[in-house]
Amino acid sequence: MLSALARRGPDSAGLATFGTSNNSRLVLCIKLDEKENLEDQTANVLEKINVLTHVHEQLTTKEYLRLVVESVEDSDALIAQVESTAKEVELVSLGTQLEIIKQVGSPDSLERHYGIRSKSGTHAIGHTRLSTESRVDLSHSQPFWAHGVADLATAHNGHITNYHKLRRQYEQRGIRFYTENDSEIIGIYLRDQMEQGSSLEEALWASLEDFDGSFSYLAANNHCLAYVKDPFALKPLMVGESEEFVALATEEIALRKISRKPFEVWEAPAQHVQLWSVPTHTQETF
Amino acid sequence: MTIQKNHSTTQIEGHEKGSKEINQQIKDLIKSGQEQIQVTGCQGQHNLAVGLLSKTSILLEGSVGYYCGGLIDGPNIEIHGSAGWGLGESMMSGTIRVRGNASNSCAASIRGGTVVVHGNAAARAGISMKGGLLIIEGDCGYMTGFMMQKGVIVVCGNAASALADSMYEGCIYVAGSIQELGNDAVIEELQDSDQKFIEKNLKAWKIDPNLPFKKVISGKKLWNFDKREINLWKEAL
Repeated sequence: MLSALARRGPDSAGLATFGTSNNSRLVLCIKLDEKENLEDQTANVLEKINVLTHVHEQLTTKEYLRLVVESVEDSDALIAQVESTAKEVELVSLGTQLEIIKQVGSPDSLERHYGIRSKSGTHAIGHTRLSTESRVDLSHSQPFWAHGVADLATAHNGHITNYHKLRRQYEQRGIRFYTENDSEIIGIYLRDQMEQGSSLEEALWASLEDFDGSFSYLAANNHCLAYVKDPFALKPLMVGESEEFVALATEEIALRKISRKPFEVWEAPAQHVQLWSVPTHTQETF
Repeated sequence: MTIQKNHSTTQIEGHEKGSKEINQQIKDLIKSGQEQIQVTGCQGQHNLAVGLLSKTSILLEGSVGYYCGGLIDGPNIEIHGSAGWGLGESMMSGTIRVRGNASNSCAASIRGGTVVVHGNAAARAGISMKGGLLIIEGDCGYMTGFMMQKGVIVVCGNAASALADSMYEGCIYVAGSIQELGNDAVIEELQDSDQKFIEKNLKAWKIDPNLPFKKVISGKKLWNFDKREINLWKEAL
């Protein structure tokens, strides 16, 4: 599906997958500093993490370090420990089921380096990016993890025009931003709303009021997949649904890669949120 | 007006082909005198059958992407699937029929011809229409008929909010509920001539015309200013 949309944005590509791990363990996807020695950085990260928990698996692919660790009660401490290793070290995702893999380059390049098609899970959201305002690097690529909320990821198409205003408000409260990409604020917003007691669905609906500009975005956690479409329907989002699957994409050409069997496709309506529960017992390869 | 396949239909396999390749094949076939062309295996490719100026019949099997049938003047296009943004944009004459749903801005800025959507049409259907007819058998999305200048939209289902916002001329018939009228849009009583127009045009596409239509037109307050205020307008310009 992502490859079918690659011409829309060849700058970077990424995928957030769900459902490939053991519930009692956490998967950490860590971006290392590609300009520094990767082995040294890996050793430093492991040294920091070993203080808090046991590491079951480790794998380094390019500047990506994937760790499977025993669950911890205080995930904030774990995040802080990882990111204290070096300035450029960033936790790209954390969760029992979530793994975010992203990089500069096309979706085909992502497949070549990470073998996405061989992975299996319940659901996934992906993104291929044309940078319009912020840098092209791994950190600015999508999907974004809702930093600090295990297993919540977002992918956005559009422009959130009150981003700077919202960012200033969050920064005044001490919330850290990792990029200058307006899409990052969606995860921060959802986390903030949920910390104030909203459910994910309530937070998604609230974002329709609080975000200005054009946006079609996807949000996913272990249990659900959702879309949010802006009040003016300024950005495309096609929905395809059949007995076998739910699929969403900016263009139908991506949806038609799933199956040659007929299934109905429609444009998501303006000012709308829809959630689908994800059955956790079925796993498919991506 | 259904396109029936017959012995003279020439087929193009569209599966895994790009828009340019398909469009080139369509144009080559038209040039060679073909009057009926079928493209199979459409998978949402953009810009299919654009800019065609002959009265050729084109049957697209599968779904099409953005701007299908844009800028046409004459052809009859039928899509057995759904259509992406900007279906038939700026068409001059001919027909486009979609068996599924149409995404945003279908029939945008059309000058003439007829666009028929048997499913639902998304936001801004018929935006800035300058003539022609748009028939939507299902529901229509947000801001349908926005800044419409001429022509007719018939919606057999429900209309989302901001219907006919800032329209100048033309009219919109809606059979179902209207979530909210747009700025300067008003409902006018349906006349016999309206009923006849609806009946004739829906029957032509085998759509039931026996529905309780309402007529939405421009209130003409946004653009129809009093001449005594002309100096105020000049100053504003």
